[in-house]
Amino acid sequence: MWFKDMLDVSGKELRKTVSDVGVLVFFIIVPLLYPLLYAYLYGREVVREVPVAVVDDCRSTTSREFIRKSDATPDLKVISYCADMEEARNLIHRHKAYGIIYIPAEFEKTLAEGRQATINLYCDMSGLLYYKALLSGCTMVSLDMNRDIQMVRLSGLSDWEKDVMTMPIENEYVTMFNPANGFQGFLIPAVLILVLQQTLVLGVAMMAGTENERRRKGELILGSEYDNPITVLGGKALAYLLVYGFTATYVLCFVPWLFNMPQLWQLPTLVAFIVPFLLASIFFAISISFFVRDRESCFLLFVFVSVPLIFMSGISWPTSNMPSFWRTLAQLFPSTHGVNGFARINTAGALLQDVRHECLALWIQTAVYFMLSLLIYERMYRSEKMPGFEFVLAVRTRVRKDLREVKRDLKAVRSHLKK
Amino acid sequence: MSKEFGFWVVVAREVRRMHSRPLYGLSIICAPLFCYIFFTTLMREGLPQGLPAGVVDEDNTAVSRSILRNLDSYQQTEIIRQYANFAEAREAMQKNEIYGFFYIPKGTQELASSQRQPTISIYTNATYLIPSSLLYRDMKTMAIMASAAVGREVLFAKGANMDQAMGFLQPIQMDMHALNNPWLNYNVYLSNTMLPAVLVLMVLMVTCFSIHTELKDDTAREWMEISGDNVLKAVSAKLFPQTLMFSLMALIYLVLLYGVLDFPDHNGFWPMLLAAELLILASQGFAVFIASAIPSLRWSLSLCTLWGVLSIPISGFSFPVMGMPEALQALSYLFPLRYYFLIYVDQALNGISMVYSAWFYLALLAFTILPLVDISMLRKAAHNYTYLP
Repeated sequence: MWFKDMLDVSGKELRKTVSDVGVLVFFIIVPLLYPLLYAYLYGREVVREVPVAVVDDCRSTTSREFIRKSDATPDLKVISYCADMEEARNLIHRHKAYGIIYIPAEFEKTLAEGRQATINLYCDMSGLLYYKALLSGCTMVSLDMNRDIQMVRLSGLSDWEKDVMTMPIENEYVTMFNPANGFQGFLIPAVLILVLQQTLVLGVAMMAGTENERRRKGELILGSEYDNPITVLGGKALAYLLVYGFTATYVLCFVPWLFNMPQLWQLPTLVAFIVPFLLASIFFAISISFFVRDRESCFLLFVFVSVPLIFMSGISWPTSNMPSFWRTLAQLFPSTHGVNGFARINTAGALLQDVRHECLALWIQTAVYFMLSLLIYERMYRSEKMPGFEFVLAVRTRVRKDLREVKRDLKAVRSHLKK
Repeated sequence: MSKEFGFWVVVAREVRRMHSRPLYGLSIICAPLFCYIFFTTLMREGLPQGLPAGVVDEDNTAVSRSILRNLDSYQQTEIIRQYANFAEAREAMQKNEIYGFFYIPKGTQELASSQRQPTISIYTNATYLIPSSLLYRDMKTMAIMASAAVGREVLFAKGANMDQAMGFLQPIQMDMHALNNPWLNYNVYLSNTMLPAVLVLMVLMVTCFSIHTELKDDTAREWMEISGDNVLKAVSAKLFPQTLMFSLMALIYLVLLYGVLDFPDHNGFWPMLLAAELLILASQGFAVFIASAIPSLRWSLSLCTLWGVLSIPISGFSFPVMGMPEALQALSYLFPLRYYFLIYVDQALNGISMVYSAWFYLALLAFTILPLVDISMLRKAAHNYTYLP
């Protein structure tokens, strides 16, 4: 019997979802378009050809070689040869250049004497990616030129120098799991998970808000299947899970595929991880939706939370360096574990045993938020069945509305009479 | 009713409205305050220290051990464990125990002694971009130093002094100067734009919400009436108390950033205060523009929300605008936060003359007067509108 009731509630909830454009926007349109926008925004992964200004006080063959080679790296683009630092700095101030390469006058001479010569780099710190590009571009060029210089010196053949050359140890760098080492591969998985959780919260809260509004006006009458809170919660969760089965498939599988992002997941792992994530998010959404009084306040209450949530997940600022208070608070949100788990399953090819900590946490959250929503639901609906507080509120609202209408009619009549 | 009187009546009415709903207090004061505290304390270290990394030594010889000894002691990197083989280290990375590791393959000593260059590899988990990039910087230096250390020993033994040794091992060196943020402080880099970004988001939403609830609750006619049916006066009076509160919130983050935390602010307090104040007015202007153009609470609120959220990535403080697709580069001109960010770079970070930022200030001003274009539509809506959920 309860099962039939649950399906009943589920069906009603689905119909309510489909007929409410506001909720559909959250459940379908935002998840459909928002990830595309973000993936498109970070599509180029890194910054290339960062404009730099050059101040070459040395004006020698070697200094010009350095500049030429820097210009040839994918990271940098020399846009101007300046007479002095003042001119170069001015270019930075006008946002034309983001870095300065300064080669001092004694550069060539120092090299010829066999001492260490220095090239000064100045970077505008309005973005760390400029810093990264300038440093890695110039370091690459200097390593390359250092090798050439050593070769030339070795051809002069001194024994001890040759000895040294037998020792150097090469090193190579491999960025694992995010081959472009860029923004799209690192941020998008987090955004995708967060979009799922936040749209659920917003949609569910909007429905709850609408319900509350209607209840205040005394319009909402609930059927007998609403007597058992477990049926209601189960039915609602089932309905949302059905919708989000499709939404999640699109967001987590199709979007990364569309943008050629790494997708190393294995289906059983992904399913076994995403189901508890969706359940935890659903009950989390239901629990907090009880605090929403009307339809549109969900925007003001929940949208801004996305910003701290993405940082709490540790995808950007490392979890190992978070103050313990925030690390503990982060445990409350499904997105924290969802982002960490999904990023590693999707991008790093982790298996279920590698993310078992996150998976367990999500199941615990599911249980806790289920109990919590059960508790709140029971209290709320008990109070409605008795002609208590809610009832009084409903009557008051209705009377006020009627009075307003009467007033308006009176005014209309009066103005009509005057004419 | 005199005109002057009308303005303050609407202001008083708005104060009452705001007072009667906790929603306003939550979104104007609590939400930004929470984010202020969150971001500034989250990144209080400035630059992450002691990031966990690992090492795999499959060679296990005198040479590899001497490399290992030289890898230690960097502030930002902490080698927490040695793993038996590559697979074990990779799994530790997938479990998120470490962000990167060194790999010294079998045969390193053999190659080194037979004068063929051995290679040690640096692996980092770029799924976590910030720790990965920081580790890379450290680990690369470690590898070079470890290699140079061995070479330097030989040179010293041959009687070269430090100058000569370095002159041979690294003829050209780089000296990097990070202008005005030499610590590469992430808190400076992110919080300076993140805090106003949250405030902008709230301003956009609250402004749009408070205007459209008048229509929804069917109080818009009364609102127009007591402002003498002057829509400009009605809107400015209604938003006036909100402007005051948001300005206070802006003042709080300015004091927090430049007073308490002592972030670089080279041109002093006033240029930034002006920028923050204009940012709030610009956001309000933009929200009124949208609210007037779209006579539906949900759609205009959705658009304002989208604008607020999108202004975070598109203002270009984390991922530069020049790295975005051209269409979005053009779009970035339509976001008030973008101009605020440019002003911040000029005034607080680089401390250059305000002449350089004049256009950005003017752009914010333009957003403020943007509603003049379509505010008459709001008046029409106030008289004829019926709420649809």
